[in-house]
Parts: sequence; C-alpha cells; structure tokens
Amino acid sequence: MSAGGPGGGPGSPATPTGPRVLLVEDDDSTRTSIASNLEAHGYRVREAGTAAAAVRAWDTQRPDLVVLDLGLPDADGTTVIRRVRRDGTTPILILSARDDEPDKVAALELGADDYVTKPFGLEELRARVAALLRRAAGPAADTTGSIVLGPLVLDVTRRAVLVGATPVDLTPREYELLKVLMSQPGRLVTRGTLLRAVWGRQYVEEDHYLHVYVSRLRRKLAAADPTGTVRDLITAEPGIGYRIREP
Amino acid sequence: MAAVALLPLATVLIALAEGPPLRIADASPLYLVAVVGVAVVFGTGAAIAAAVAAFLLYDALFVAPRFTLLVDNPEEWLNLLLLLFVGIVIGRLAALQAERADDATRRAGESRALFRISRTLTTAASVAEALPVIVDDLLAETRMDRIWLSRQEGAREMVVADSGGGPRPSHRIHVVLTRTPGDQPARWVQEHRPMERAGNDPPDPGSGLFRTTISAGNEVLGAIWATRSRAEGLPDREETRLLSLAADQVGLAFRREHLIETANAAEIARQGEALKDALLDSVSHGFRTPLASIRAAAGGLLDPEVTWSDEERREAARTIDSEADRLNVLVRNLLDMSRIEAGELRPSLEALDVEGLVTPVVERVTRALQQPPVQIAFSADLPPIRADANLFDEVLANLLENAARYAPDAVTRVTASTCADGRVQIRVEDAGPGVPEASLPRLFDKFYRVPREGEGARRGLGIGLGVVRGLVEAMGGEVSASASPLGGLAVDIILDPAPEPPGEPTGAGEPGEPGELGEPGEKAPA
Repeated sequence: MSAGGPGGGPGSPATPTGPRVLLVEDDDSTRTSIASNLEAHGYRVREAGTAAAAVRAWDTQRPDLVVLDLGLPDADGTTVIRRVRRDGTTPILILSARDDEPDKVAALELGADDYVTKPFGLEELRARVAALLRRAAGPAADTTGSIVLGPLVLDVTRRAVLVGATPVDLTPREYELLKVLMSQPGRLVTRGTLLRAVWGRQYVEEDHYLHVYVSRLRRKLAAADPTGTVRDLITAEPGIGYRIREP
Repeated sequence: MAAVALLPLATVLIALAEGPPLRIADASPLYLVAVVGVAVVFGTGAAIAAAVAAFLLYDALFVAPRFTLLVDNPEEWLNLLLLLFVGIVIGRLAALQAERADDATRRAGESRALFRISRTLTTAASVAEALPVIVDDLLAETRMDRIWLSRQEGAREMVVADSGGGPRPSHRIHVVLTRTPGDQPARWVQEHRPMERAGNDPPDPGSGLFRTTISAGNEVLGAIWATRSRAEGLPDREETRLLSLAADQVGLAFRREHLIETANAAEIARQGEALKDALLDSVSHGFRTPLASIRAAAGGLLDPEVTWSDEERREAARTIDSEADRLNVLVRNLLDMSRIEAGELRPSLEALDVEGLVTPVVERVTRALQQPPVQIAFSADLPPIRADANLFDEVLANLLENAARYAPDAVTRVTASTCADGRVQIRVEDAGPGVPEASLPRLFDKFYRVPREGEGARRGLGIGLGVVRGLVEAMGGEVSASASPLGGLAVDIILDPAPEPPGEPTGAGEPGEPGELGEPGEKAPA
C-alpha cells in the first residue's frame, strides 16, 4: 500500500490530510503490516524497501517522519539518516534488531531521534511515532526563556528548576543534565551526547557516573513532587541513553 | 695419596723385622698389606704393578746377594714367586671388591636420583611444575655447572626449566649423547649446531655444552642441556646414565601429558555433543509450546467457518502476542548463552545506581507478566555498583521472570545491601515452592531443570539461570542460590562497588561548566 491508498480497517478511512510517514523496511511482510496499521490510524504512508528508494522518496515527498530499518539490502541505513539530517530536522525513528546496540547508538548520534527494538508491538511503534510528531509540531526548545514539561519548569535565565511551585535544589551538573534532556523532550539522548554536553569531550570514553547522576536527579525531582507525575519522567534505555518524556 | 707410600713403608717395616733384634726369617707378607691397600685405592692395574714392585724390591733389598736381582738360595725363589703370585691374586681380589662396593654406592645414588625424578613427575600437579625440581636434582647429582631443560614446540625449542640464570651459552659446537636401541652403550658425539647464537653472549671456549635429547618414539620432545668447564672432560658413565635415564623419564611424562590432553579434548568434544543434544531437546520443546499456541490461535482466526465475537478475536490476538513474547525471551536467552560461551560478551562497565537500576526493571517485568507488585527494599548508603546496565537489566528480568513462572502470585522481594567486604548484594527471593536443597548447587548449570511434579508443557528451557550466572560473571560478580526465609528460592547477586569518582569536588566548580567528574557537593545557584 502506498501513500494515498485505501485505509486499513473498515470504519477508519485514511485521512488524506494525516501526517506523512516514510517507512523504510526491506522485509515485505513486516513493512506491509506496519503500513496498513499506520494507515488504519490515519497516517499517509509511503513505503521504501531500499536505501536508494528511501532517498528518492525523501527528495520527492519530504515526509513528516521517517521510520527506518537500519539493515537495508543496498546500503547502510545511516546513509538515509545523513541525507535526511542534511536537509532538516524531520524526526527519524529507527527499527533495530536486538543485538545492534552500537548501531543504535551510532544512529542516534547521527541524528536519529528514537528507536524501537524488533520484535516490537505495533502499539508501541505508534506511540513512538505519535510522540515524535508531537514534539516536531511543538515550538522548538527555547533556551533563552523557560522550558515547561507539565509541572516541571526549567528557568534557563535564572538557572532554576521548579516542580509546580516547589524549587528543586540541583547541583550544576544535575541542572545541565536536566537542561539537555528537557530541551529535546521525548528524544532519546545517548550517553555519549550527555557526557559531552555536561562533562566535556574528554569524559566520553571514561568509566562514568552518568547513571548515578541521573538517578539522583530523578529522586530530587520526585521528592519535590507530591503528585508523582514527574517521578517517571526521565527514563533510561540501558546501555543507550536517557530521555525525558512529555507528561 | 697415602697408598703410594705403602710400598716404601712396607720396605722399612720389613727391614726392621728382619734385622736385629727381631730377625724374622721372612717378613715379605708385609708387602701384601701394601698391595691390598693400593688395590683398594687404585684398582686392579695398580695392584698388579704393586705386586710386581714388591717382588722386585724384596728380591733386590732382602734376598742375598743384596742389591742385585740375583738369588743365591734356590729356596728363596719359591718364596719370591709365592710373594708375586699371592700379591697379584690378593691385589686383584681386593681391587674387584672395592670396585663393586664403589659401584653399589654409585648405583644407589643413581637410583635414588631416578626415584626422586619419577616421584616428582608423578606427584607434581603438572609436568611443567616438576621440571625445575628435576633440573636441580640433576645438578646436585652430576658435576655440571648448569643444567636446563627445553621443550620442542614445533620448530622452536623453548627452555622450560633452568638451574641457573642469565643468558645461556650456545656454542656452535656441542656434544650430543647418541643412544641406540639395544645394548649399544650411549656415546657422546661432537656436533656442529647450525643455529644462530642467541643473544649477545660470547661463546666461551673454556666450557663444554652437552645435550641429551628427550624423545618418545621417533619424536623429539625436547632436550636436557648441561654445561661445565671443558677441563672436566666428557660426562662419566654414571653422569651419562643419569642424564639419559632422566631424559627417558621426562620424555615419558611429556608423552603422558600429551595423551591426557588428547583424551581431555575428546572428552570435551563428547560432552559438547551431549550438550548439543540437550540443547536441541530443550529448544525444540521450549519453542514448540508457544508456537503451537500461536498456530492454534491464528488458525482459529483464519477459519472461515467460525464466527468470532470481538472479544474472542482479541483474546486470540492476545495469545499470539504473549506467546510471541515468550519466544522472544527464549531466543534472547539462547543468544546470550552462545555469546557467553563464545566469550563474546564485552560488558561496558560503569557506575550504576542500584535503585535507579532495579526499580524500572521490576516495574516493567511485573507489568508485562501481570504479576502482583514486587516488594523492593534498599539499605541506606548503598554505593553505586560497577556493572553493565544492559546485562544487569537482563539478569534481573530473568530472575523476576523465573520467580513469576515458578512462584506465580506468590510474594516476590528484591533487596539490596552492602556486604562486609564492601561489595553489594542484590537478592531476588520469592515465597513460592522453592527448590530442594540438593538441586541448589546445580541450579545455574545449563539445561538443568529442577525435577518437579506435573510441570508439563510450561517448563522452561533450563538456561535462564545459566544465562544469569554467565552475565553476572562477565561483570566480575558472583551468583548463588539458597533457601529464602520467605519459603521459596533466594538468588544472590554480588557485584563490586564502583570505584570512587575521580577528582574531589573542588567546591568552586564553575556551575554548569564541564569539569571534573566529582561528587555533586557544589550547589546550584538558586
């Protein structure tokens, strides 16, 4: 099924104005079931089975989001990421096999926004797609004013953090960590990126305390929040990185 | 040597005995004492020479006419010839006796040395461990300056034991002990060695280098090398025997070790086959059960004859979904197991906060398995652990899935505390039926399943806990199982605490600026 084709299930016809998704996946049956499911949920899906087809589709259609399998028959999926990033900030969701940890990290550091690991549930995939589109649609993170995520407020000018009305006492590095995560909500930020941003380039390869800092930060935020909404805001992807969800 | 003085001494004594006042008619037997003495000390040849000398001396000095070899009285001839005959016979007998005694002593020493060598070889944990002892033993039993033992590794000769230190001499010319089968005595033969001189040690023309080849069958396994001053000459018979017998013993030991290694390799291969069979059995069973559920559900959905209610259709899809999840866990564990066994696991260790690590996994697994909440308790002041976040995640997920499978709906508890030695213990325990005491030590073995009644098709693959152990050990930790006070099984994971973070907080750390990875002692300006 291609863009503009008939919708999946009866009673949910494709919305001709829905977000345009470029789905790059070489396995036919996987691609077909993802495409029909996304279409059933109102997305306009353009399918590509190779990197070359993906780049052609990107050039002609400029979709709102790219779902990209890294293992393509003709070229590494990262060539597609590079191409898309050359032209803009369109969200990229990676589909990856389980044992590809270094590949996932490489793709994320090249500019991909998130990943789902095969085998995944379609529900999970749709949730990630929706979150990425929501973020892309929202205003760009304003690093001169305040970043607001539900009850969580990071005041960049005053270097202050509030949960509701309660100020949270953070160390400089905890503050920087939170700022990096909050300036790209929903996006999975790799450990390498966080270390570079908060501690500096020389710490990227070292045995580091990132996890300890993030845990401490989570606890401080949770302690300032009696409602429990911000408790699970920061999530860890073991071995990959961290993200802050939109509440 | 005192023995040389025995003949003159005897001569003097005879002169005294035959002269006034004793005037003994014939004191010539005193010479026999001297001959025996010479025989004992110098052997047969010297004894005969001494007997002849005694005969001539007595004739010349004591038989008239004196100071000539002539004999006036014919009776004296008989005396003289008897002296000569008895001297030679006694001399030879005495010399023979002495040689035998000497030989016996030497043989005793030699067999003691050989016994020590073979006992060392049989009692040492490995041949390699025995060789230095043997080299020292040989050095003590021979008059060599230094002895070393080399082993043939393909084309190279590797020194495996050396009684001395420093560079070893490597002359172009050395003496080789050639041994031929049968009764042929071993011979030392000079040999030019076409090898390069090792290192920068100058050849020492004053020393001789001796080689005794260690072989078994036609295969050269190594050599015993010895060196000593060239002035000492070739090794004597006993040294030669000792060196060649020691070479035989060591050769046998090398051979035996090789056979044991071959046998071990065969045994490992056999066990590998058995494991493969167990794997196939486990995998085919473990995979067929969820696959059967999936096909049944999918087949039902595809059947045009059956009208499904929405709820039924969802139920069938849920079955497919959860069984596929189960297959996914099986595949994950099998892949982990093969990575562990291939040594391909490269944990990336970092400092991890235990609470931040454990809580999300517990929440995820309980949600996925629809289990009652798990109790979590952490002791205060728990240090960060040094582990791989991914691997730890899998370890904990495996343990929780295990508890959910064997102790469904029972209380499950995860606790973390600091051990006396500073390491961190993370315990996963349940109030389920538990594991019999006898099964505890084997719990982490691959494909081991606790024998249970009525487990049927829901049994596991028997590798989950094996994977747990492999992953924990890859992170430098330990894992053990015991009976939980809750009534079920308790699994303890012990991991190292993370090292102290580098660099102390400077206190004046510029806010937000990249700096030392210090404890966050600094406060953010509010």
